[in-house]
Amino acid sequence: MHWFNWLVVIVYLAWVVVDGIRKSKGTDTIAGYFAANKSLSWWVVGLSVMATQLSAVTMIGTTGQGATDGLRFVQLYFGLPLAMVILGVTLVPLLHGSGVYTAYEYLERRFDAKTRSLTAFLFLLSRGMSCGTIIAAPGVVFSAIFGIPLAWSVALIGIPTIIYTMIGGVQAVAWADVKQMVLIVVALLAIVVVLMFQMPVNPHDALQIAGSTGRLKTFDFSFTVNETYTFWSGVIGGTFLMLSYFGTDQSQVQRYLTARSVDEARSSLLMSAYWKIPLQALVLLVGVGVFVYYQFVQPPLLFNPAHEEAVLAEQAPTYAALQTRYGEAFTLRESAALTVAAADGDTQAAMDEFLAREADIQAIRGEALALAEDVTGETSRDVNYIIPRFVLSELPLGLAGLFIAGVIAAAMSSIAAELNSLATTSVIDFYRRWVEPEATDAHYLTVSRGATILWGTFACIVATYAATLGSLIEVVNRFGSFFYGSILGVFLLAMIPRARGTGAFVGLIAGMATVAAVTFGAPSVSFLWHNVIGAVVVLFVGLSIGRLGSTTADA
Amino acid sequence: MTEVESSPEAAKRRFRSTLTKVLVVQAAALAMLGLLQLLYS
Repeated sequence: MHWFNWLVVIVYLAWVVVDGIRKSKGTDTIAGYFAANKSLSWWVVGLSVMATQLSAVTMIGTTGQGATDGLRFVQLYFGLPLAMVILGVTLVPLLHGSGVYTAYEYLERRFDAKTRSLTAFLFLLSRGMSCGTIIAAPGVVFSAIFGIPLAWSVALIGIPTIIYTMIGGVQAVAWADVKQMVLIVVALLAIVVVLMFQMPVNPHDALQIAGSTGRLKTFDFSFTVNETYTFWSGVIGGTFLMLSYFGTDQSQVQRYLTARSVDEARSSLLMSAYWKIPLQALVLLVGVGVFVYYQFVQPPLLFNPAHEEAVLAEQAPTYAALQTRYGEAFTLRESAALTVAAADGDTQAAMDEFLAREADIQAIRGEALALAEDVTGETSRDVNYIIPRFVLSELPLGLAGLFIAGVIAAAMSSIAAELNSLATTSVIDFYRRWVEPEATDAHYLTVSRGATILWGTFACIVATYAATLGSLIEVVNRFGSFFYGSILGVFLLAMIPRARGTGAFVGLIAGMATVAAVTFGAPSVSFLWHNVIGAVVVLFVGLSIGRLGSTTADA
Repeated sequence: MTEVESSPEAAKRRFRSTLTKVLVVQAAALAMLGLLQLLYS
């Protein structure tokens, strides 16, 4: 990358850290450090909520998915607006009004200590490991693109984030999120503008080409629990997923606990309700635009430069033969694409020809990917390299740096929220609850900063060894999906007056066991439906044994 | 929280009005995506 692009990245990183430290004012109490003294405006919290959810994977993986698969991924978010409205009238007033620092703290007030500790432990377990993968995803891509060791790219993302999160607490995280969200949107819009100027065909023709390959197909109304990206999976499963994520996951709950009032907390969530689908559509459309652009400008056969290098070193003649075939096929497809663009009225014959040439290209690419997998022994995730390669080769000087800074921003905002919520849960739900209940704020702050450093270091280590820990991380992530919906079920129970602590605890275990049984017994069922199953089982079991156990209900 | 905020009727009204606004905005966004699909797929 050109030195000027690096300068843009470094200036941005320095700004985030320095401003994060400046924003640490007033965070010398636990109310300030964990909840920003409930002083933030709805728009700050709203942008923080959106930035937390939008990770680096969205910037590089989802845009790449738009290029290879089109718009249908957006259906995953169809349940989000409804979930936000439901949370605004249910959990948000409950949690914000109760003066808790963590969502799990509320569960002890409503049920008992064991339900609180189990849900908090499950959160630490899943989020602790996923934090490593959030750094690893862009880290691996940067490492391959820039040819630097993985540890360096992990450090580039992880260390500044740990510094401002550790010093400034949730307030610094929220304000950094605001900057990061603005940068992310600007970076995406910059690509759109560049694509519009550099696209060799007009927008109508570009849409015609994208549409002919099915990439503009958003809606799939088929009802099948085995498919993740359908309208019904998105609306039903997606609603439960978003209710779980925004309503019970401390990394999100902590954002809106910092709002000035319940109404401002609600408004902050509604910002996502209004903007998430359009933003996600923009992310995917960027990918679709890059796909069309690459109809006229020959892209590399393998987008991952590290894989390309490895293949060239070990299988040069085979790869050279593939590249020759690829070059010929590309010329034919380009000509077919131009015919589609030039055709007026009946374009079916031109489209059929174009689709046949596109299939040729995909076949050759498939051979190259298989070759790369053979040589490197790694699963090819070439889709994650499409956008970074495009950005570095096609974007003007400065804008490429801006986009890379945007990807780092997206990673940092998600990681900061994770570290902050992991430290909060460790201190509030375990240290203060079980180890040292009567210490001073200064003591808890010191412990919290230590916890942030520990979780940050742990995340960086996991990220650095992501390749070797691959299967372990997958197991933990899979385990995480067992209890997401079940935890939602516990919070839903909390809103039902006759529910009791033992019912909630047993229900939670029953919910997780059922989801585990479905995962292994019927692996084809999409993960979106796991959330529905978990929540429903917890509600059913919890209410069935609702009369057992004791309650310390204050609700 | 004020009395008005905690009144169930006021909460119900706010919920309905917000739900309507969010649904209208989302319907517009989805209609645009649907239009793209209809015209070009």
